[in-house]
Amino acid sequence: MEKSRIRAVLALGLIASLTLVGCSAPGGGGTSAADSVRVGLVLEPTDLNIRKTSGVALDQVLVDNVYEGLVRRDADGSIVDSLATEHSVSPDGLTYTFKLASGVTFHDGGPLSPSDVLWSLNQARTDETIKDHVLLSKVASITSPDMGTIVITLSEPDSNLLWALGGRVGQILEESSANDLALSANGTGPYTAKAGSWKQGDSLTLTRNDSYWGKKAGVKEVVFQYIPDATAAVNATLGGDLDVQTGVNANLRSQLENSPDFTVTDGLTTDKYTLVFNQERAPLGDPRVREALRVGIDHAALIQAIGGAGVPLGGPIPELDPGYQDLSNRLPFDPERARALLAEAGASDLKLSLSISNHYGTDIPNVLVSQFKNIGVTLEVKRMEFPTWLNDVYKNHNFDLSMVNHAESRDFGNWTNPDYYFGYNNPRVRELFAESVAAIEPEQAAAKLSEAALIVAEDNPADWLYTGTAITAIRNGITGFPTDSTTSRLYLGNLAVTE
Amino acid sequence: MTRFILTRLLLLALGLTLASLLIFFTLRLLPGDVAQVIAGTDSSPEQLAHIRESLHLDDPLLAQYGSWIGGILHGDFGNSAITGTPVASELVQKAEVTVPLALLSLLIALLIAVPLGVASALRRGKLSGTLLGGGAQALAAVPVVWAGMMLVIIFSLWLGWLPAQGFPRQGWADPGRALTALLLPAITIGLVEGAVLLRFIRSSTIDAIGRDYVRTAAAGGLTRTRALITQGMPAVALSTLSVLGIQVAGLLVGTVLVEQLFTLPGIGRMLVADVGNRDLPKVQSEILILTALVLIIGTLIDITHRALDPRQREAAE
Repeated sequence: MEKSRIRAVLALGLIASLTLVGCSAPGGGGTSAADSVRVGLVLEPTDLNIRKTSGVALDQVLVDNVYEGLVRRDADGSIVDSLATEHSVSPDGLTYTFKLASGVTFHDGGPLSPSDVLWSLNQARTDETIKDHVLLSKVASITSPDMGTIVITLSEPDSNLLWALGGRVGQILEESSANDLALSANGTGPYTAKAGSWKQGDSLTLTRNDSYWGKKAGVKEVVFQYIPDATAAVNATLGGDLDVQTGVNANLRSQLENSPDFTVTDGLTTDKYTLVFNQERAPLGDPRVREALRVGIDHAALIQAIGGAGVPLGGPIPELDPGYQDLSNRLPFDPERARALLAEAGASDLKLSLSISNHYGTDIPNVLVSQFKNIGVTLEVKRMEFPTWLNDVYKNHNFDLSMVNHAESRDFGNWTNPDYYFGYNNPRVRELFAESVAAIEPEQAAAKLSEAALIVAEDNPADWLYTGTAITAIRNGITGFPTDSTTSRLYLGNLAVTE
Repeated sequence: MTRFILTRLLLLALGLTLASLLIFFTLRLLPGDVAQVIAGTDSSPEQLAHIRESLHLDDPLLAQYGSWIGGILHGDFGNSAITGTPVASELVQKAEVTVPLALLSLLIALLIAVPLGVASALRRGKLSGTLLGGGAQALAAVPVVWAGMMLVIIFSLWLGWLPAQGFPRQGWADPGRALTALLLPAITIGLVEGAVLLRFIRSSTIDAIGRDYVRTAAAGGLTRTRALITQGMPAVALSTLSVLGIQVAGLLVGTVLVEQLFTLPGIGRMLVADVGNRDLPKVQSEILILTALVLIIGTLIDITHRALDPRQREAAE
């Protein structure tokens, strides 16, 4: 008996000393070899098919890094030349002329020819099963008058054309290539994603394209590690398993800020956290009820609850997109007024449900429940898997309120489609949007969008809770990692390791 | 014995058939479909219709079930609706994480349970025995996820000894690194499963100590421990074997949780992602294979048990 007691004391002592050692041990450290950068991402694409599969998680890794278009969208929302060395637009806005870079090869070694460009763009334009093909609906013809020139002719002006060409439909694929698009990608970009580089459920490895036609990438390989759990991701970063962590949970950022090895940055995004009111459901068809719900939300408190990772929005267009105007002060927080409006509409003691996909945290729903309670609205939160959300809310419009992060840039068009799950229908907004698309001058296009956005905001079909902030932790010595728009684009052509 | 084996095999076939029906039709009750997941939130009805058609989602359910089972009978477990990769090859690939993880967890569980279980049985009534028994009871009640988080905090974040998550991309090309990656997850499962097993071994050892044949052997001049080990342990081992059969299922559930927690690219994580994407052609084959695994192991253990334990054989004959 005596002996076993001594052993127990020894064991406890051992645990205690381990703990003490642990407290003084440096927090990981880790090595970052100059030839490999490990990047933590939150959402994994379901497959690599750039033509068919939806989701910004796919654009994020493949567009601009592996595939290239004639032009590319920069992180700040502007358009820059990519496979085109220069481009020009005719004064009537109907003819776009691109000078094609020379000496470009695909990853499989085949040279880029104008016919690959024509084939890729025509395929995207004519095949209605291709993702985003409607974005090229105004294209009348695509020709190549000589080996170095591509001319796109439109049937009517489209101020969104260059932006569209910087997205999925503008990516250039090789006509003769027979690779399985779902599992590999054969593009012209600074990085390759060959078959086997994607380990589903784990990581995607991009390898430097050593025969790249332009400035070669600064690192030999980039490993995207998919870690959906926010705590696990921070642990991985602090434990030395990651060099860059994107999408840091704001409530965990201090852990990374306390580490001398990392710099934490705040970036702009087009992530619009949108709380949609289903107007087909009584009493949400009543504008007073919708306005009451909007003024009943304390956006500052909401943003604080998510760790400050957002900026007030107030309308459908985020800061990085054309047509943005600050609408965040149009409907200030006023619970008194909310209660009065609800009473006026005969909707006191209102019970509503919030349908939300379970890949969003519980912070936002919790805040909404308590804020709505404050104005006499009982909110029941229905958390569901994303496919269930797609079925119930998106397809069948079976919901009261729904919250989604609409991450795509320039997606104002959704407010002009009455069949979209927003269920918003305003002919004047459609008219203004059409005028914006048809505008030749970018300023004019933006002004029309602004006007349309104000009307949408005034109709209160939704509340724009906030625009997300992209929090990125970057290990010291890594440069050129984008910090804006990281949820939809991660151009890594400038990435380098300096230490 | 032959008749027993044949009956068990027949039951196994029946069980698998029932399981396949259950798996197929319950999965069809899940709302949402894979075509919508692929097409996303800004798709046109034409796109959706095209995807549904190409995936045969509009075929009658019985026809879909028939073609699934028909394929399996020919050794074809079908393809993922999203990537088109064969389910079997992906399972084999993910198994290189999950199978070693499960085996390592089992090994750790046994390393904890057998010596401590027997020791605590021998020290019944003493403080150390009570502490062990109570400790096991408490540990068995610890949620796997919590245990894993504690281990990560201690061994990864404080001590920096073991990685907090992930598996080497090169897989088992560097066995040392692969093993290091699996160690914390395996300890997580092993601790909790080991505690369950410990309590079982403790009680069956206590039972064995009280048996006449152990007492007789002890009376014959052996020490109590020696008598227990030579005479009592075979019985303990046999009953532990059958408990292990049941624990295989628990072990698989444990790997699903732990693979999420440690971001390991194994079968569990694949399954969760596939259900989330409604990749039902893939999910149904994966679950069927896992079910088959559990049923087959159960059957094998039953047969082994029968073969090793003469009493059972005699009782049947």
